[in-house]
Amino acid sequence: MEPWQLQPARDTGLTPAERFRSVRRESGLLESLAHHACFSLLRTYFVIAHRLTITGREKLPPHGPFVLAANHCSHLDALVLGAALSPRHRERAFPIAAGDVFFQSTVSSTFSAIVLNALPMWRKNCGPHALADLRRKLQEERTIFIIFPEGGRSRSGSMMPFKHGLGMLVAETNVPVVPCGLAGTFDALPPHRNFPRPMAIKLLIGDALQFVSTANDRPGWLQIAASVESAVRDLVAQSRTA
Amino acid sequence: MSQVTRERLFGFRHAFDDRVTVVLTLTALILLLLAPLLIFVVTRAANSTSDKRKELWDRYRSWIWLALFILIPILAGAFWTILGVATLSFLCYREYARITGLFRERTISLIVVIGILFITFAALDNWYRLFVALFPLTVALIATGGLIPDQPKGYIQRVGLGVLGFALFGSALGNLGYMANDWNYRPILLLIIFAVELNDIFAYICGHLFGHRKFVPNTSPNKTVGGALGAIVLTTPLFALGAHFVWFGTALDTPVRLLGLGVIVSVVGQFGDLMLSSIKRDLGLKDTAKLIPGHGGILDRFDSLILVAPAVFHYVNYFVGFAVGQPQQIFSGWEI
Repeated sequence: MEPWQLQPARDTGLTPAERFRSVRRESGLLESLAHHACFSLLRTYFVIAHRLTITGREKLPPHGPFVLAANHCSHLDALVLGAALSPRHRERAFPIAAGDVFFQSTVSSTFSAIVLNALPMWRKNCGPHALADLRRKLQEERTIFIIFPEGGRSRSGSMMPFKHGLGMLVAETNVPVVPCGLAGTFDALPPHRNFPRPMAIKLLIGDALQFVSTANDRPGWLQIAASVESAVRDLVAQSRTA
Repeated sequence: MSQVTRERLFGFRHAFDDRVTVVLTLTALILLLLAPLLIFVVTRAANSTSDKRKELWDRYRSWIWLALFILIPILAGAFWTILGVATLSFLCYREYARITGLFRERTISLIVVIGILFITFAALDNWYRLFVALFPLTVALIATGGLIPDQPKGYIQRVGLGVLGFALFGSALGNLGYMANDWNYRPILLLIIFAVELNDIFAYICGHLFGHRKFVPNTSPNKTVGGALGAIVLTTPLFALGAHFVWFGTALDTPVRLLGLGVIVSVVGQFGDLMLSSIKRDLGLKDTAKLIPGHGGILDRFDSLILVAPAVFHYVNYFVGFAVGQPQQIFSGWEI
């Protein structure tokens, strides 16, 4: 007879405040319902107010783990990508958000964790262990990460070079990276505005890229960042002309 | 809804109608007021480390909140009491599901949650037959829900964990909520909660004073035979005395029956404690969560109450019954 496989939640032993900020966090029933409700409402909102069009949704892998990498110039970006996923995907989708913006206070981290299911990335003093934790979570829990490899919102609307942190997550693994091009979010909600304007938003999903044979070292990471960046640039250019 | 029912559900003016309620509420408040003095004296005398002192103060502060969360709903009315018990059921189940990993089985967790909601409705409605029917029906539903993923691997585990979770936190704890259908529910509930918590403290103190022989070293190494017996000797007469005033002049009010009830509270309370110790030891955990400073999780605090609730309910139900003369099916009993 095989023994039972009892595996406590990975965040057992953390206080509620620590848990919301932790990469080890696993959602319960109510939190899952909250993410679903949030992204379903957002989807309706984007379709009605921003005439959201999604091209290439069939290119998404059927299940996790995978990484969505997109250009970033507005707070709407992560919401659009989260809303674009099917309900089956949303259960395991985590937007990776700036710790210093979304997880600074207890109120903001509670909101980011419960409603958006976001995970914090601390831009200062994060160290390699933070990325190692995310890399482990990606493989062990078969999660979906929504990542903006520019490392922040572009204040001008034009794309900034990608950072190699993305490479540290997927090098030498069979986790696919799906490049995504977003257009219209900057015009709808640029960084200096507080409320969005009803401008059209387009999302183009590209072919998944694999980096099984790319070395897990600095040159490999830079190579991954460069190839994902060029794929995203192509998609953004396509979305503007289309 | 009749006037009597409304008064029972929401009539906070009746909070102190019974002498036992007044005595227990005052005792709780006095203990909370005296505790800081006691902690101060004890930590000074024992020359405790700052860690130990901090833990004691954390525990004390948490007790103030716990006392308010217990006292206010019970005094406010049966409606709030039943909702309070439902909240306790949900929080306990949440911790249990997270430490056992059952929370990853969404269908089963949803069925248990729906089961707890129905138990709460049956208690609010004073619909005893539904209350009794819910255990087998929910078990059947859990066994069915376990089929949904179409993966026989792990079926027994997920269904077994789901049934145990519902049995302990939905069905067993639900008995505590159902007691609020008795017109005189306030002293009954306060007496049970008070006795169960005192029982823990008596076991701890007696264990320190006379504890030599280990009781169940593999399950809980700090428990001793002296502590367990001491708790029975101290809790039983205290509970019997309180119960004598609560059930004055009823079939339960004979010395043997009252002492029997006292022994049940003390013994079953300690078994509840050991049950959670076993669950935690099986999982290799020290606490079920880190929610209440100084205590751990909700389950760590209320473990002793879980098994006492059904035991007391059915013992009392056998001799005098709960909710005698109260209107039944308050919400669902409309005429068609």
